[in-house]
Amino acid sequence: MITATKVTKKFGRVAAVSGVSLELGEGESLALWGSNGAGKTTLIRCLLGVIRFRGAARIGGVDVRKRGRRARSLVGYVPQELAFHDDARLGSAMAFFAGLRCVPRARAAEALATVGLAGHERKRVRDLSGGMKQRLALAIALLSDPPLIMLDEPTSNLDAAGRGEVVETLHNLKTSGKTLLFASHRPDEVISLADRVLVLDRGKVQRDTTPRELWPTEKPIQVVRLHLTMASEDDAARVLREAGHAVHVNGHGLCVAVPRDRKADPICTLARCQIEVRDIEVLDNVHMPEVQP
Amino acid sequence: MNTLAPHSPARGVSSAVSARSFAGGIASFARREFRDSIASRWFLLYTIAFGVLAVGVSFLSLSGVGSHGFAGFGRTAAGLLNLVVLVVPLMALTAGAGTIAGERERGTLLYLLAQPVSRSQVVIGKYIGLAGTLVCSLCIGFGVSAGVLAWRTGGVGVGSYAMLVAFTVLLALAMLSVGTLISVVSRKPSVATGLGLFVWLTLVFVSDLGLMASSILLKLRVQEIFGLAVLNPLQAFKMAVIVNMNASLDVLGPVGAYASRTYGDSLSWMLATTLVLWAVVPLMLATLLFARKGAL
Amino acid sequence: MRSITIAILASLLMSSVALATSGAREPTSRSVALIGAMIDAADPGSTIHVPAGIYTGNLIITKPITLDGGDATVFDGLGQGTVIDVRAQRVTVRRCVIRASGKDVTGEPAAVRVSAGSATIESNTIEDALFGIDLRESPDSIIRDNSIRCKDLDPGRRGDGIRLWWSHGCVIEDNTVRGSRDMVFWYSENLRIRRNTVTDSRYGLHFMYSHDTVLEENVLTGNSVGIYLMYSNRITLRDNRLTNNRGASGYGIGLKDCDDITVTGNALLANRVGMYIDNSPSSIGSTGLFKSNMVAFNEIGLLATPNTHDNVFTRNSFVENEEPAATHGRGRLDSNVFAKDGAGNYWSDYAGFDLDHDGIGDLAYEPRSLFGAMLAREPNLRLFVHSPAQRAIEFTARALPELRPEPTLTDPSPLALPQDLKLTGAHPRRPTAMGVLALLLLTFAGGLAFFLARNPGVIAPPQGVTE
Repeated sequence: MITATKVTKKFGRVAAVSGVSLELGEGESLALWGSNGAGKTTLIRCLLGVIRFRGAARIGGVDVRKRGRRARSLVGYVPQELAFHDDARLGSAMAFFAGLRCVPRARAAEALATVGLAGHERKRVRDLSGGMKQRLALAIALLSDPPLIMLDEPTSNLDAAGRGEVVETLHNLKTSGKTLLFASHRPDEVISLADRVLVLDRGKVQRDTTPRELWPTEKPIQVVRLHLTMASEDDAARVLREAGHAVHVNGHGLCVAVPRDRKADPICTLARCQIEVRDIEVLDNVHMPEVQP
Repeated sequence: MNTLAPHSPARGVSSAVSARSFAGGIASFARREFRDSIASRWFLLYTIAFGVLAVGVSFLSLSGVGSHGFAGFGRTAAGLLNLVVLVVPLMALTAGAGTIAGERERGTLLYLLAQPVSRSQVVIGKYIGLAGTLVCSLCIGFGVSAGVLAWRTGGVGVGSYAMLVAFTVLLALAMLSVGTLISVVSRKPSVATGLGLFVWLTLVFVSDLGLMASSILLKLRVQEIFGLAVLNPLQAFKMAVIVNMNASLDVLGPVGAYASRTYGDSLSWMLATTLVLWAVVPLMLATLLFARKGAL
Repeated sequence: MRSITIAILASLLMSSVALATSGAREPTSRSVALIGAMIDAADPGSTIHVPAGIYTGNLIITKPITLDGGDATVFDGLGQGTVIDVRAQRVTVRRCVIRASGKDVTGEPAAVRVSAGSATIESNTIEDALFGIDLRESPDSIIRDNSIRCKDLDPGRRGDGIRLWWSHGCVIEDNTVRGSRDMVFWYSENLRIRRNTVTDSRYGLHFMYSHDTVLEENVLTGNSVGIYLMYSNRITLRDNRLTNNRGASGYGIGLKDCDDITVTGNALLANRVGMYIDNSPSSIGSTGLFKSNMVAFNEIGLLATPNTHDNVFTRNSFVENEEPAATHGRGRLDSNVFAKDGAGNYWSDYAGFDLDHDGIGDLAYEPRSLFGAMLAREPNLRLFVHSPAQRAIEFTARALPELRPEPTLTDPSPLALPQDLKLTGAHPRRPTAMGVLALLLLTFAGGLAFFLARNPGVIAPPQGVTE
């Protein structure tokens, strides 16, 4: 579905994405994993052909730069947060995108129903909650029933309930045979949705692996947030990564994925390196399907 | 690599469908732009401002003598001409300058471009939408003003008035085109608006004053002055309106007389062509630049 | 004996005409020689009532008679030569349609040419003529109530509607001329020129070396120039109406080297230049008087060459002219007087005030347009009128007094109120067309808005994108 070779994007001198090659088959699901600034968002934008880059990318065999319109008609895109004219009403926004995607407006109503937004057509986009906005974005992405869905941290602005809904919808899509490519920094999402994980760091592919290899334990995973002094966060992240933990730095402390029964491990690891942990917080239960695919 | 599977696009989708969806996309953007501009109230603001000014100018130019049915179209037209030259470029430039830069800042541009659309569709669609808004706004202003003229004086020079409206529309399209180009090259709407105002000042005052100064200092010949002046779309507009009102540019002194003598009946077409070029070329440039530039 | 002959001829003609008209709508045309025969048969001084009909060819009148067409007679020159050539004194041509003179300028073919004197040409309709009525050395003639339409040629190739050449003491009144070159008077003195209307011509009324004449209540509209006097002295222009004369020079009234001209009570509206004065008065001791004229809506109200002097302007109203007064070239108009007996002129751009309510402004009127001064020096800059740059320059001059030019003129006692605008016979009111345009524009705006704001239609999905 996606073939990318040596995709490179520089902003000034800094390479946001550098030499990323990837291939994604029909019906596969790929997660982009990495901390903020690792290049996940930029890579997705390159693959969509909305920004210029070096290298090559094809979606369904169509070059995204030469025939971007054709290529993007195969993709439903869900951004981190839906950015659409806030004054627009939900119904007219859907009609607009239905027009762009050349689908009948009846399909728009259907898509809204799919994400549980039927009956909200008169609401304005600005009045929607975060979860509803993301569901609207999903509805727009699903309008033309594209074979590939790209999502850029689709749940990062949502609360637990909203996250659950989105992940469940995505799971259904995956089951129905859609190809998924999504960026995430939540291990639970990755484990539940991804067949493969592309670990990115500073624009480069670190590993092309599977969730099971990244988080080898069979046991349920929980996320622990560690609060440290700002200065020590980078060191701590490095130390924890060296110790084999999946770490995410997002400005509100350090999120570490740990097996349910070994929550103290990261603290001990840090203590050995004389890095002080001020506080610890166990994030709410993650969505874990009963059976791992 | 099994990229071509059931979901991949059927090759050889007829070009007719593609062309239709291309035009359809432009129409979608145009409509959205139109509705956005009405929703964001600038349309209302511009329409009221222009309408009030146009009606005011008509009234003022008729005051006292209007009831005698004499005031003549010339004065009203001169007043409207001054108004249009000042206000319409400002409206069109700022409207154009805000369009892409605004979406870029709000982050909506990226989302739009992630849809199956091409960049030229976005630029052209937005241009058409804004053009529709501006034309609406101008027609309302001119329409009400024409109503006032009809009511107060009797319509001397209906043809001239219609030509004034037509050329004003052309001017608005030209300035909107320049505004769109500004919008494409500016990263922020504030920069775009600033640039728009700068261009407005340049076209309205600086270029004329500069040309006056250089014609005095460099002792430019009439054909040189005319050639340079015509480059300014506002001058081209002014001359086009005067030519269509007076059938000659003699009002504009030796330079105008030279133009009338040299170009005769083709002068009107020449000036109109200048304005059309101003409407087409910057828009084409904007489309090309936008296609080359990133969405960011 | 002669009268019997005429009666027989006439009755023959009439019966044949009657026969012809009963057979066809258009009366058959017959040769003008028939009329020639009738004139030959008539006694001098008698009146010939020409039977209705069309008479083709060129008629030469060599006997003092009266030719009355009774509004039913057409003289058609068939595009050759002069239609009626009057070569005897005391001839009257009345109530005829005279048309289709020659076209070639050599020989100057006219509808009516008089080369004797004391002719009366009245109530005729002249069409398709190169020259309309041409008086050559025909003093004491009367041209009255004729309607003259010249050949539809390039203005440069047209002839004059009415021309007088060495014909003193004539009366020219109530004529209407359209689409001619000039109504022109050469070396003709003591004329009365009243209530004529000239439109779409080059010079409405044109004087060359013709003195001591009164022009009253003439209406000159849409000509290149309204009234142009050259080298003519002691002429009074009174209560004329000059509107929309906007040709290349476009003067309402133009004076070149004329002495002792009196211009009173005229309305000069929407011309390119209201009054143009070139070196008038030109002789020492003579003056020009401009009183109680309404000068309004012109591009320039008063334009004068810098050498102009000794003109008196009083009680005129300069209303809403683009430039109230300007010099043609560098210089000022201060050798002229802009007030008489304490009464100046009304200037609509006067920024002063009249605190004591005596009808006279308390400050002198001194126009100091910087742009106007620049125009006088650099005529090319006229390209920039009607532009915001022009306003910027005037604004700057107001803000920085050291930039202000010397005033073009000084009116020490400007009037506080304009005279009444006598605007009879203004443009016909045609509000419907403008109303229709207003409706059209609004409808168009509404339609466009509806088209753009309505919901986009349903578009069928292209194949391959959706299942």
